[in-house]
Formats: sequence, structure tokens, C-alpha cells
Amino acid sequence: MPSVSKVFVAKVVVFAACAAALLTFPSWAANPYILSAGIVVLSYAVLSTSWNFVGGFTGYISLGHAAWFGLGAYGTALLITKMELSSFVAWAVAGVLVAIFAIPVGWAALRVRGASFVIVSIALVLIMLLVFQSWSDFTGGSNGLVVPRPFPDMLRPEHHETFFYLFAALLAVTLLCWWLIDRSRFGMGLKAIREDEDKAEALGIPTYSYKLVVYVVSAFFTALGGGMYALWFGDLDPVFQFSILIGSYMVLMALLGGVRQLYGPLLGALIVGTALEYFKLEFGDTQFHLVATGLLLGVVVLFMPDGIIPAGMKLVDRFTPERSSIREMTAAQLLERDEEETSERADRHTAATGAATPERTKR
Amino acid sequence: MDGSLLFQSLILGILLGGLYALLAAGLTLYFGIMRVVMIAHSAFLILAAYLAWWFHRETGIDPLLSLIVTVPLFFAVGVLMQRLLVARLRPVTLTMMSVLLTFAIALTIEGLLGFVFSGTQRRIQLGYSGESIEVFGAHVAVVKLITFGLAASSLAALYVIMKYTKFGQSLRATIQHKEAAQLVGIKTDRVAGYGFGLGLATAAIGGTALSLDATIYPSLHWHWIGPLMAIIVVGGLGSIPGAAIAAMVLGIGQSLLQIPMGTTWAQTIFYVALFATLMLRPQGFFGGRLAQRF
Repeated sequence: MPSVSKVFVAKVVVFAACAAALLTFPSWAANPYILSAGIVVLSYAVLSTSWNFVGGFTGYISLGHAAWFGLGAYGTALLITKMELSSFVAWAVAGVLVAIFAIPVGWAALRVRGASFVIVSIALVLIMLLVFQSWSDFTGGSNGLVVPRPFPDMLRPEHHETFFYLFAALLAVTLLCWWLIDRSRFGMGLKAIREDEDKAEALGIPTYSYKLVVYVVSAFFTALGGGMYALWFGDLDPVFQFSILIGSYMVLMALLGGVRQLYGPLLGALIVGTALEYFKLEFGDTQFHLVATGLLLGVVVLFMPDGIIPAGMKLVDRFTPERSSIREMTAAQLLERDEEETSERADRHTAATGAATPERTKR
Repeated sequence: MDGSLLFQSLILGILLGGLYALLAAGLTLYFGIMRVVMIAHSAFLILAAYLAWWFHRETGIDPLLSLIVTVPLFFAVGVLMQRLLVARLRPVTLTMMSVLLTFAIALTIEGLLGFVFSGTQRRIQLGYSGESIEVFGAHVAVVKLITFGLAASSLAALYVIMKYTKFGQSLRATIQHKEAAQLVGIKTDRVAGYGFGLGLATAAIGGTALSLDATIYPSLHWHWIGPLMAIIVVGGLGSIPGAAIAAMVLGIGQSLLQIPMGTTWAQTIFYVALFATLMLRPQGFFGGRLAQRF
């Protein structure tokens, strides 16, 4: 089919253009502030892509990934200050330690599905916040914790530029890992869990260990993102590291872009991250960014639960000839379509028989 | 530790447990009827507390009187919220998406509270806020007794409504088996809306009770959401008696642990109980047979 190769070429061109735009960003960013905003957006992209290992593949929505973010950041900082490891060794060790810690937590949390899982994930952040605030002689508590800089003799713009590339590299690795799982047998199993966990189990997929593995992978990458943030930002406070808001940003970004897509969370981070930086700049101390986040999340959940990328693809599909392949529909979408058809039929039926159905007559 | 201190903590724990029970009952209502996990419940709690504070500041009248306005208002908001927002979600992903939707509502409320009333901490000064009475040698603040009285009477009212009114019967039928309820002619959509309103009305009462005795600020709801969620998981999602028992046990436990551990660390009992529940009985300890399926 010639159109396939055309699509492939288009994909490569778009990818190359985006990658080039990303990698040259430090040279055309207007000033160090814009560059640092770019780093924030990149770090969001790393976090929401990491979140998408659990959210996208298995459909388990964790509002508490900020716990892994904060643990990664604090782990890195504490390993540098208390154990006197060098910065990037501490960063990697913290990531591994967080992953190990995620095993028992995931073991407990993944025993329940749906609502209970979300509740547990929220509880995880709250408990971490409590511990890190109260245990102040170890973590610095509310006074914060200063992280020694990895490159002490760099000037600020240079420091920003270095970290921009470090974050970009981390993002690339995270995306690559997601892509590999997406195409693997393991990924197939995870997606089966997302569509129908009971049936997946009946088909012989070891659902529980699959979920646990991907949960730990997700926690690992989130912790690396947090550790990198600590090294770059240099100052930690429990209220910001263990904030439910950070966790909800990850969910919002991934959902907005599309959780089934490789670049969904990245696109979401680009949109939401930029908007957040803008709101913080314009409205500063007011709580406006909370209202904006809340309203945006509400709109996404109500009207675009599949995200921008699928919505956009549907729009493109309208103007192209119908594809010959079977379109991928989730069990949820199929059920919904069936329900819509039934209710339409019922409506037609009511319309045909007139409004004098027993329900509508007044007693 | 001497006996009177222990007794005092026990009394305070019971009073606190009553308030927890009222608020958790609202949460289990939403879950029972709609399978909705209402993260915004505690945000509405803080909203009601702010309304009571504002009412008191503007008029100087006892903040309890603001209930006359806030209870019907919250009931209406709850009905509208269910009909206009929650009912729009896809049935298949309802549980997960309702969490995100109500989370969004909570963020919006927190943001608006910060916007309108600023982040400053607020507290109501009442004539009787310093007074306490002696109960078998334990000093109990009057406001705590009022709070408990409010909680107990609303729980009793809730029980009567659920048990003896026609609406309560159809609500319970909807909770037990939605399709069967529809078959016997119950308009489950409408009932669900009213049930949602009823849940939110409990938040109005709880919030007003809270405002009598606590310093309030917009982000306070995060401190409440954890314990409340822990209570409904321990009690078994969707079970009102379960939530009430769990609220009492954990409230008393928190109060007793405050003596050796201090206030902050005593809070961890909720999370310990939450994780212990998941390890031992993921469906909850009291009668919750629904939890595991959702």
C-alpha cells in the first residue's frame, strides 16, 4: 500500500522536526526564564510519561505519583548530604531504592481495583507528606532541604542549558521504554488488563505480577524525574514535593494528550505545563491556577476522556477515505456504542408510540 | 499515663468519632448509590465552614443559624451536580472518572475560596467557645459537645429518612439493586440525584460544626480527605453502618494515640488502618461486599 510509506515518511519528518525544535530550544529561548520554564515543562513531560506506564497500560489511575516524585527528590538529596555520594550516583541509587520501596506498596495497593486504588494512591501522598514534615531532624521538615549543586562552577544560564539536555535525555529514555513495552507481549498483557481484567486473568495472564512490575517501573522513572528536579532546582520542601497537585498534573497531562498514545503525555505536558507557567506568571499569588487546573480537568474528563490525539485523529479520519483495517475499539467503547444504539431504538420506539407511556402520565 | 487523662481522651475521641461518622456517611451514600468516589466532599465541608464564618462575620449571629441556608443550598447543589455532571460520565469508566471529576471540583472550590477569602487562616470567635463543662471529671469543650450533638442528630435523621420514608426506601432499593428498583417503578435517576443532595447536605452540617472549633484555610480539605477515605475503605465501601463503626473506632484510636505520639503522628493511624485493611480484607472490615468489585 503506497499510503503506508507516505504516512511513515510524514511521521519521520514530523518526528525529526519536533526533535530538532526541542534540541535547539536553549539556543533560541529568549532569556534564562523562558529556558527554565522549558525545563519545567520537560520535567512534567518526564513525570506524566512515567505515570502513563501505569495509567495508560493498565488503566489504574494513580493520583498519588507525587509520592514517588518526592521520594526520588528527597532520596537524591539525602544520599548526597548524608551519605556523601556524588550527585548522579545518588540520583541513580535513589531511583533504585524508590523502586524497591514501590514493591511492597504496589503489592498492597494493587490488591484493590478502581476507586479503592485511587483512594490508596491519594493516601500514599498524604502519609509521605505527614512523615516528611514531622521527621524534621532528618528531612529538614518545613524549613526545606538544600541540595548541593552537581556543577558548582557553572553560571545560571549554562546550568539551565545542561539540565535542559539532561531532562531531554531522560524523557527520551522514558519514551523509548514505554514504546518497547507497548510493542511487547508484556504490554499486550497489560492492555488486556485495562480492557477487562477478569477476562485477561481467565486467558492465563499473570495479571497481578504484570501490574506490579509495571507499577514499579513507573515509580522508578517518576523517582528519576524527581531526583533530576532536585538536582536542578536545589531546594526541597515537603509541601511542594509531596503535593497532590503534582500528582493530579501528571494525570491531567496524560489524559489530555491521550493515555493510549506514546506522545500523549508529552503533548499534554506541553499544553498544561505552558499554561501553568503562564498563569503563575500572570496571576502570581492568587489561587487562579488551581481554578484553571480544576476546570480544565473537569472539561477533559467530561468531554474528552480519550485525549486530544484520538480526537484529532478522528477529525483527520473524516477527511480521508475510510481505512480498510479493523478499527481498534475498546470494550468500553463497544459497550457504549451498543448502549447508545439500544437507547436510540428505545427513543424511536417511544416517539412512534407517542408520549402516552405509563411513566409520563400524571397520577 | 494517669486515668483521668485517658478518660478525657476517650470522651474527646467519641466526640470526634461522631463527626467523622457523619461525614463518612455522606461519602458512603454517594458510593452506594452511584459508585462515585466523591473527593470533593471535604472541599464542600470547608466551603460550608467558610460560609458559616462569613455569615457570622457579616451578621454577628450564631453560625449555626447559617445551616438554614446552607443545608438546602448544598442539597440543591448536590442534585444539580449529579444530574448535570456525574450522570454524563460513561457507565463503564464511571468509578475512575468520577474520582477525577470530583477531584477537579475540589480543586476549583479550593481555588475559589483562596480567591475570594484569601489564604489567611480564619477562626470564629464565639461567646461560648472558651467554655467547657465537666463530665465525670473530664473537661469537655462546649463547642465539641455541640458538634457531636449536630452529628448525632443528623445521623439519627439520616437513619429515619433511610428507614421510614418512601424516599429512603427507594434510595435503599437503588443502592441494593438498581435494575430491580427500576423494575418496580422507582425512578432511579431522580432518586440518585436526591441521594447525592442528601450526601452533600451532610457536608453542610459537618462543615458548620467544624467551623465552630477549628481554624480554617482553603487547603484544609486535604487534611480531611485522607482520614475520611481511610474510614470508608476500612468500613467497606458503600456500607453506612460500617463507616460509622470505623469512624468511631479510628476517632477514638486517634484521640488515644495523641497522648504518647503527638497530634501529627497520631494521624498516621488512619493510613496504617487503610493499608492493614487492604492486606487483610480488601473488601473492608464491616459488611462491605461491594468494595472488591470496584
